[in-house]
Amino acid sequence: MVFAAQDNSSFDDLFRYNYRPLCLYALHYLQDVDLAEDVVQESYAALWEKLQEGTHVLNRKSYLYMMVRNRCLDHLRKKGIPTESLKPYDTYGIIDDDDAQERSQTEARLWTAIDSLPEKCREVFILSKRDGLKYEEIAEELGLSVNTVRNQISKALKVLKEGVHKLYTFFFA
Amino acid sequence: MDFVLKHYQEGKFDTQKAIKRFNEAHGIVQKPRRRVLPWVSGIVAAAAAVVLCVLLFRDNDQQIQLMASAEVQEFVLPDGSEVTLTPGSRLTYNEKSPRNTHLEGKAFFEVARDEAVPFEITADGAFVRVLGTKFMVDAGSSVKEVYVTEGKVLFAKSSDVEGVILTKDMQATLSQSDQLPVIAVEADVNTIAWQRGSFIFDMTPLKEVLKTLSEHYKVSFAATDLDKQLSGEFYAEDLDLIISLIESALDVHIIKR
Repeated sequence: MVFAAQDNSSFDDLFRYNYRPLCLYALHYLQDVDLAEDVVQESYAALWEKLQEGTHVLNRKSYLYMMVRNRCLDHLRKKGIPTESLKPYDTYGIIDDDDAQERSQTEARLWTAIDSLPEKCREVFILSKRDGLKYEEIAEELGLSVNTVRNQISKALKVLKEGVHKLYTFFFA
Repeated sequence: MDFVLKHYQEGKFDTQKAIKRFNEAHGIVQKPRRRVLPWVSGIVAAAAAVVLCVLLFRDNDQQIQLMASAEVQEFVLPDGSEVTLTPGSRLTYNEKSPRNTHLEGKAFFEVARDEAVPFEITADGAFVRVLGTKFMVDAGSSVKEVYVTEGKVLFAKSSDVEGVILTKDMQATLSQSDQLPVIAVEADVNTIAWQRGSFIFDMTPLKEVLKTLSEHYKVSFAATDLDKQLSGEFYAEDLDLIISLIESALDVHIIKR
């Protein structure tokens, strides 16, 4: 059997597995999707350069999280946000950094699940849950019946629940 | 959930786009990545892609040959039956009797029910007859295999000898030296993972899980803790994702070789 250290994962794999979670993590600090993507790109670039120089990075994944956090904090400081408020947030308030890291994995999966909803279903769902529109308003905006809107939303919820369950629930002994 | 919903924007946090952006910024020319299970996604596209019919002529009767080249392709036969062919597999039938088919390679069938005309598949050293059902035939190697997901199937060496009847979730193999197909004690649901698009494991030791994956993706693996057991359904689009999910679920490390 070959035992490989976590560290041996290729850069490609690091990108593939961690890009979306890192974006969600950055989002907890920045509350801005585009900015989060930039920060994550920069962090990968920094790691890439380190590795090109031949630097040995022991745990690349935690190193990436650390770099993303530092860049987020830099960014917020530049915006003049007082140091004591440089904290990750979720919808309800401050969370701690470990939480933000841990949650980023699940949140990335949820993001993926929303991505994979049928287009119409996603549109209705997002208008309702993100934009807080009432069923009647969505129906009017999209030219659908209120009933269709209701059905699409419950379909979305069902798919997300099942999708997340199927893909991410494991029972193991 | 609320946090993700509040910020969700379509097309953002797209890993593929990000990789492209990164590569462009760093002058990396991406090696064409071998697509994992290219055929599974091929099935979706293939509904519209019944292009590969080759017409051969024999005694004025048209001999029709369906073939999948690089990807899994799905065909609808004149009787309404659907057949999904794996790359390199071929199904031949006469235009006048589309329910008498000849198979080379591996295919999944969803046969339209017709009590009057049984659907028949011959292969080199194997014969299958059904009324209407869903099943897989693998005639691609010397050991022929049939896996039934629905209905009832007769599986025999040829049309004129005795065979075995297979029903839902039964699997049997027929080697050249056997006269009668051998029914598997426990059918392996992952035999048709390529058609279903997912792998299903139920308290399966990691050793077996990796064996299944390596058969389907044609890569080999090394891992720690091969005796840990895994349960769950995994969608077959992305091997790397499956690997990472298994790694985090079982707390093991797996490498591809």
